[in-house]
Amino acid sequence: MVSSQCSPAIVRRRLPRNVRRNLVAMAILSLIGFVWVYPFLWTISVAFKTQLGAFSAGASLIPHPIELGNFARAWVVAGFGMLFLNTVLYASGATLIELIKSAMCGYVLARYEFPGRTLLYRLVIATLFVPIATVIIPQFLLVERLGLLNTRAGVILALSGGAGALYVLLFTNFFKSVPQELFDAASLDGASFPQTFRLILPLARPIIAVVVIFQFIQAWNDFNVPLVYTIGQPSLQNLAVGMFAFQGAHSLDWTGFAAATVISFVPILIVFFAFQGYFVRGLAGAVKG
Amino acid sequence: MAEAEIVAAAPAGRLPSLEATRRTGGTALWIVLFLAPFIALYAGFTLWPLLATVAYSLFDWDGIRPLSHFIGLGNYQKIAADPVFWKAFTNTLIFAVLNTIIKLPPALVLAIVLTRKWLWLKRIFRTVFFVPVILPVSVAGLIFTYLLNPSNGSLNAVLRGVGLVHQPIDLLGHDNTALMALVLISVWQVFGQYLIYWMAALQNVPDDLYEVAEIDGSGEWSKLRHITLPMIRPMAVIITLLALVNALHVFGLVVTLTSGGPGRSTYVMSYFIYTEAFSQIPYKYGYASAAALLFGVLALIFVTTQGFFARKAEILRRAYGV
Repeated sequence: MVSSQCSPAIVRRRLPRNVRRNLVAMAILSLIGFVWVYPFLWTISVAFKTQLGAFSAGASLIPHPIELGNFARAWVVAGFGMLFLNTVLYASGATLIELIKSAMCGYVLARYEFPGRTLLYRLVIATLFVPIATVIIPQFLLVERLGLLNTRAGVILALSGGAGALYVLLFTNFFKSVPQELFDAASLDGASFPQTFRLILPLARPIIAVVVIFQFIQAWNDFNVPLVYTIGQPSLQNLAVGMFAFQGAHSLDWTGFAAATVISFVPILIVFFAFQGYFVRGLAGAVKG
Repeated sequence: MAEAEIVAAAPAGRLPSLEATRRTGGTALWIVLFLAPFIALYAGFTLWPLLATVAYSLFDWDGIRPLSHFIGLGNYQKIAADPVFWKAFTNTLIFAVLNTIIKLPPALVLAIVLTRKWLWLKRIFRTVFFVPVILPVSVAGLIFTYLLNPSNGSLNAVLRGVGLVHQPIDLLGHDNTALMALVLISVWQVFGQYLIYWMAALQNVPDDLYEVAEIDGSGEWSKLRHITLPMIRPMAVIITLLALVNALHVFGLVVTLTSGGPGRSTYVMSYFIYTEAFSQIPYKYGYASAAALLFGVLALIFVTTQGFFARKAEILRRAYGV
């Protein structure tokens, strides 16, 4: 990118090409990055501000005077611990169901013949992009008829029931690409059907990573399903819905809201920071597979 | 065991198990067991709801009384004459197209920069651009109502500080800016997801292609034009498709930021369906189902249009031998 003729020879000698490139990139990326994270920085700073301070600060990020009571208030008044627990339950429950059902179905679709195999495969493709809004009413009635309305199981079922066509296709394509020799070797060793599956499944780690990350983030942030399925049941709401409700009821408590946001955000931020490399590699592997 | 028979039965086939499995009872049972969870949920939460939506759309139904007041295409006639539906319909299209156009190209550029081997602090910058994705959409919406607040929000403080505006502006409070503001906030929120998609696409370009190009003396720009872009084309189709479909679903931001307002200027399809079906008594399940079905058809049209491009990309992919 930085060609040798456009920079003075002295600079070139003093700073290696790598360093020069990086200085330019760092400047631009930091500027855009700052704008990008500004809403977060603002939220963090408001979480430490007094109500009056937050109101009069404008764009400033430095809290003055510092107020720590916001965090305690957010935890107690918003019933924040419960919202957090619900969100973790919904996200992990939905992810687990999604993973198990799509891995097993993809495995069988890829390796075994059974009546209706082609039909199932075509149906899955045809319904890949059915918008949730299109089917939310019958789904709601189904959960209601199962007696699971306003229960945690109902929310998890609604979150994980409809999705998954894409994941089935990912798993199917992956298991199709597994060399036949592995299956032959397994059967020579006398491995049964479930034993063979357990042997092959770890190979699908990239797909598993993608399904887990996608589904977890999606279920963690879902707003539509928990809103509809927990109307009038604050104790069952997830963070997305609960914090919206909290804001509706305490619309002047900006600082409490900001503190709640900070508490809820830190855990998932740590998870992402730790696993991000795996995320990109997993996604790349999934698409290739 | 059964598997041994399968292998013996069809040693030459690519999928030797195909014919043989039907004969072996044990394996058949396992196949049923493995398919059952997906099929049960798929039938209950996708197939039946689709059929039910079609059926409900032909009735005047509030979800409480028995489903008996058949009105044929009555709901569709009402929808065709409902200006709110058409407003929501066009808003959703505008939103999805603008959102996709604005987020995808910059995300690709950034992905190319962030995958350079020489770049420092990759991990930090990736995280910086990805964090809005993990923020619950309603929280993102609420934060932006504060930031864009005309009386004391940051945006107005900055704009006034540098002298760009003298009167406070209320982006979300005006008919002609509210939808655009929603588009931009949504771009901010989902940008990181598409950044990661592009990065995954870039990682799948084989390194040896670049090595060959380097031996030929190609510069960065020529490598980008002649290797990177053609190679990621098939993925680009999928990413665009996902971007469009996801943008068609916009709901949470509308609820938290504008409630469809001011007036109906940010009414979108999923918000329309939600209010018709769940938030106004008497509930209009029949009417909302008809709207939902029309919306589904709209999404399908998007998919088929994309499918055309996808086929073209597939041909290209073969031409490049990958």
